[in-house]
Amino acid sequence: MTDLFQVVPGNSPLHRMNPVTKIVLTLAVSVAAFLTDNLFVLLFLLAFDLMIGVVGGVTRKAFSIFKGLLKVSVFLFILQALFVRRGNRLFWIVTDEGLLTAAAVVLRLLVVCLPLALIMTVTQPSDIANSLVQVLHLPYAYAFTLTTAIRFIPQFMEEMSGIMEAQTARGVEFDTKNAAKKLGMLLPLCVPLLISSVRRTGATATAAKARGFELRTRQSGYKRYGFGAVDLMGFLVSAALIAGAALIR
Amino acid sequence: MIDIRSLTFRYDGAEEDALRDVTLEIPDGAFLGIIGPAGAGKTTLALSVGGIIPHEIRGDFYGAVKVDGLDTADNKLTDLSRLVGTVFQDVESQIVSSVVEDEILYGLENFGIPRDEIEERMDFALGQVGIAGLRHRTISSLSGGQRQKVVIASLVALRPKILVLDEPTGELDPSSSRQIFSLLRSLNREYGMTVVVVEQKIMLLCEFAERLAVMSEGRVVRDGTVREVLGDIAGLEAIGVNCPRSALFSSLLSEKLGREVPVAVNADEAVETARRIIG
Repeated sequence: MTDLFQVVPGNSPLHRMNPVTKIVLTLAVSVAAFLTDNLFVLLFLLAFDLMIGVVGGVTRKAFSIFKGLLKVSVFLFILQALFVRRGNRLFWIVTDEGLLTAAAVVLRLLVVCLPLALIMTVTQPSDIANSLVQVLHLPYAYAFTLTTAIRFIPQFMEEMSGIMEAQTARGVEFDTKNAAKKLGMLLPLCVPLLISSVRRTGATATAAKARGFELRTRQSGYKRYGFGAVDLMGFLVSAALIAGAALIR
Repeated sequence: MIDIRSLTFRYDGAEEDALRDVTLEIPDGAFLGIIGPAGAGKTTLALSVGGIIPHEIRGDFYGAVKVDGLDTADNKLTDLSRLVGTVFQDVESQIVSSVVEDEILYGLENFGIPRDEIEERMDFALGQVGIAGLRHRTISSLSGGQRQKVVIASLVALRPKILVLDEPTGELDPSSSRQIFSLLRSLNREYGMTVVVVEQKIMLLCEFAERLAVMSEGRVVRDGTVREVLGDIAGLEAIGVNCPRSALFSSLLSEKLGREVPVAVNADEAVETARRIIG
């Protein structure tokens, strides 16, 4: 699980793409997903998402994220199917419209979540932050918040599993199969974890200030984030996705 | 020069002062080691030099700390940071980036180092600390010791006039610890950087530092050259500072022989002393 948020280095077109273009592409996919109710278009978008993974050279990761999301989707699908009351009854309380709506909701969830996760695996958070500051003029403080949040995710997971291992070693049954019981044991750990994380972020802020955080401007970044042919492609594809979804609906 | 005058500090909510009336002068170009038992106020003193106290950590602050004539209480932390680089004890929380290269770049970018100078400084810092091969690695893939080196490199790149390090070898193996101290020595001798280092490993301090300040219960109780401070073994032991065995050896010898024996700061000197006495 910890490697979920780890960047896979490489030199694919996706790696070379300007982080801003990647974000535009992600947003375009999301907008397209919300413009259309057509299941085939949504399926096409899902295939497009997985293609992003293939182009970025992270196919295996793309499918593992997909599988992870699929579990949530099944749950969501059942809920939706049970709660939509319109349309003709097919069996028990499930209607045809319910099934269609549920499928659209679930597909949309997959379509929107996947590219975001994939972009994170081919882009360093600092590159995202720096390019947002440089290209889109985002105030640096916000960009810093973003990178710090992302940077701390694997660390918190490490810490959490560390606490769990330590408690397991002292006889707490974290390896139980009973999910409810496990959740009950995990909840008390959240408070100390939260406190330690707040303290740690404070220390990080201090360290950043001691290295000139307040002097940083839009021009400070050493790396430059230009736009090339691959970015032009990205923008064209983004426009095509939105236009296509709007036309077919 | 670092001029600490009657500094007393109490953390918010604490019941006792962490520093009590500390007065200490650290001349330019010094290599000072700070040692003392846990809770003696070493970290508090280290944080006061770079202005982290009182700017970032709140509490009751009396007295004055002047760095190059700048009063740390009146000047902004950012301005003080150009003069003083501080390596904190907690390695993990002072890393702000996810890739080694970005971490080194961070301070350089912020302080507006010219672009054509950045590459050279990056190579210098990575090379000096011995982690040139880690440049493109992600922080999360590094070991604790490697992360510690990255943190040190990120400050070395900034070439501050004064470098303050709070237990910089805490996560390092003996050979890496020596490597870091050798680096500090070369920064001190070749670049004239003032080095202030809080360290528990007294052997390292005795070998590399020129001066020692011993702290106990919030006060600086000894301050002098390594040889001067080690001259009073009994006093140090009473405070709770472990002395190097070479110094214990020379002090035992002088006790047994009933005459003055020069303090042996390291093993070589102890051998030399023994040889001279045996004749």
